[in-house]
Amino acid sequence: MKKTIFPIITILAIVLLIFLPYFIGAYLLHVLMTIFIYMTLALSWDMMLRTGQLSFGVAGFFGVGAYASIITCSRFGFNPLVSILFAGFFVALIALGLGFAVLKLRDIYFSITTLAITMVFSVIIRNIPKLTGGASGKVIPNVIFNGDSAKTYWLILSLALITILISEMFNRTKIHFAINSIRNDEIIARSSGINIFGYLLFVFIISSALQGIAGAIYTQQYGFVSPETTFSLDFLLLPMAMALVGGIYSTWGSVIGALVLGFASEYLKLIMPYGHLIIYGIMIVLIILFLPKGIYGTTKDKIITHKIEKKSLSE
Amino acid sequence: MKRIFLVMMSLLMVFSCALAAEKPIKIGAVNPLGDITGDQATKAMKLAVKEINDAGGVLGRPIELIVIDDEMNPAKGAAAIERLATVENVDFFVGGMGSGVHLAQVPILKKYQKITVWIGAASHQAEIAMGPDADWYFHLHPWDYQQGEGYGVGWTEIVHAYPNVKIEKVFLAYEEGAFGTDSYTSYIDLYEAAKRGEGSWKEILKEFKGASFKSASLGGGDYRAMLNQAKAFNPDLFIWAGYDADAIPIVAQAKEVNFQPPLFVGAPPGWPADFGKNPLSENVILYGMWAPTLNEVSPVAKHFYDAYVEMWKEEPATYFAPLGYTNIYFLVEGIKKAGSLDKNAIIEALRTIEYESPLGEVLKIEPSRIIKNQGFKYQKILQWQKGRQEVIWPLELATTQLVYPFKFGK
Repeated sequence: MKKTIFPIITILAIVLLIFLPYFIGAYLLHVLMTIFIYMTLALSWDMMLRTGQLSFGVAGFFGVGAYASIITCSRFGFNPLVSILFAGFFVALIALGLGFAVLKLRDIYFSITTLAITMVFSVIIRNIPKLTGGASGKVIPNVIFNGDSAKTYWLILSLALITILISEMFNRTKIHFAINSIRNDEIIARSSGINIFGYLLFVFIISSALQGIAGAIYTQQYGFVSPETTFSLDFLLLPMAMALVGGIYSTWGSVIGALVLGFASEYLKLIMPYGHLIIYGIMIVLIILFLPKGIYGTTKDKIITHKIEKKSLSE
Repeated sequence: MKRIFLVMMSLLMVFSCALAAEKPIKIGAVNPLGDITGDQATKAMKLAVKEINDAGGVLGRPIELIVIDDEMNPAKGAAAIERLATVENVDFFVGGMGSGVHLAQVPILKKYQKITVWIGAASHQAEIAMGPDADWYFHLHPWDYQQGEGYGVGWTEIVHAYPNVKIEKVFLAYEEGAFGTDSYTSYIDLYEAAKRGEGSWKEILKEFKGASFKSASLGGGDYRAMLNQAKAFNPDLFIWAGYDADAIPIVAQAKEVNFQPPLFVGAPPGWPADFGKNPLSENVILYGMWAPTLNEVSPVAKHFYDAYVEMWKEEPATYFAPLGYTNIYFLVEGIKKAGSLDKNAIIEALRTIEYESPLGEVLKIEPSRIIKNQGFKYQKILQWQKGRQEVIWPLELATTQLVYPFKFGK
């Protein structure tokens, strides 16, 4: 029974999400698009975290993807959709090259290096103004699908669903055991025959490529890039907060975190024009303090505990 | 029966007409409420709306201002426009500060094509993104390139008005981020034009040099290397383009390395709240669109200032306050002149009205490089004197004489 209900609910939810543009207005659609972009970033950040590596390079790969897309579009006449795919491929290539250097590092050294990489990307972009527009950035005359909200929504929804699918594949295949083992104890993982570097590199490339594609779609949606906004640390800190609030090391944690924080941010702003950011910040701190495993992790734990108690009582 | 029906229908019609007449004209504003510029612009907009409504509204209808915070986030700013257009059903868009946020709003504004009067976003990239066809778009703040041109016009007029002032060598110290680098790039363009005998700086600018520094607001704060480069260049006009956090340390360190150029200009987007109270501020020159001292030469500026202080129990500290006030009044004057809410009639009216603004000058619309409807062209040249920002240029609005050459305050 359980095995059939879950796929049915999933399919129904996907169908509902696909047909949503026919029922809701442009504003809510816009809010959802932003949430899905951040959801993709949160999930891809969490995928890397599952290997035990805390990456601060999200904004960097997001920004490079954005620039790759807008430059190929404006200078080489790429179709926007092709430019988005190219951006993903380009970021994956960069991640492959960088991976050989940074994935030898661990803990805080890895984190700081990935943060530094974001800064380096930003400095490089600023210093090749003929290609990138330098400090003032670059604009394209037309945004993707000529600003058609529904089509843009479907594109962003596809990216979010693909990311969820990849994340679930990571959780349901042997990759899950390998990366869990690497996170828990690398020596045991190595002695079990796990190719640590290979798995780390694979996850790093996949998560970076997703971040690059998210950046490319975001920039095609708004039609501009600039070092300050495109490499903004918002694209690192907010996805991290979303994953932490929802619950790390899981697909649904990031999904729940993105939905909760995304809608809360919009709703708070409307009911409290002044001071809503303070309430938003306090909310994040309280959730992380009192639900250290996040909303999903804590709820899941409670359900499991309840089931065990129920089982032991019946026995 | 027939008579009762007719009476009821007549009453219904009268009632509907009365309701339609009372229905407010909705103006949607998107401002960064967490920042002083957005906060004060919003307060000034509310003041303007209150004054207009107290005077009977426009076209017999009251004005309703709906404000949404953009949080200085491009996606939030774009979503705010979507909400105002589709949920709040506003008739007009106003507001705005940052160029990054505005660039994300441009595609959404183009989608709805409602009359938009924007007071922020100085980056020329926003003008490129908007394009030449948006006849419904009115931009009031001078574009970045216009500001550079304006300073050339201003300094040239000052050189003519003050025979002892000489400006041939200009040194620009710029913070290494987008703001500073953009300033440097535009000065390079102006210098190249001046060398060809073109542009507003052609009469005065003979030599130009620039050097970057790391702003204190971005983890820097040591300007000595840059100041020593400037000292070696010995400029007539020294300009720094950074942030408010740089204002005091840059003057203090210039004093320390004994670098005292004849004209010491700061060009940050905003100044520290109490900069005027610091003795180091004395005779420092700044660029801006407004100063409280304009109250002495402009009755409109004085009216705005007094009304703002009375309503909000605080002083307007940024030029975005009078600009926000102008934003609403300019639009309402256009509606009044058009006599209806017909889009084309209002566009035509806004293009022809001349609104005497609290910024001290008359606002009238002219084309800029790309867009058809550009408002203000230049910023003003101001000088800190005894803790007050005095207007030096435009000369017709000058509130006092330029103190020259610059000497450090004690």
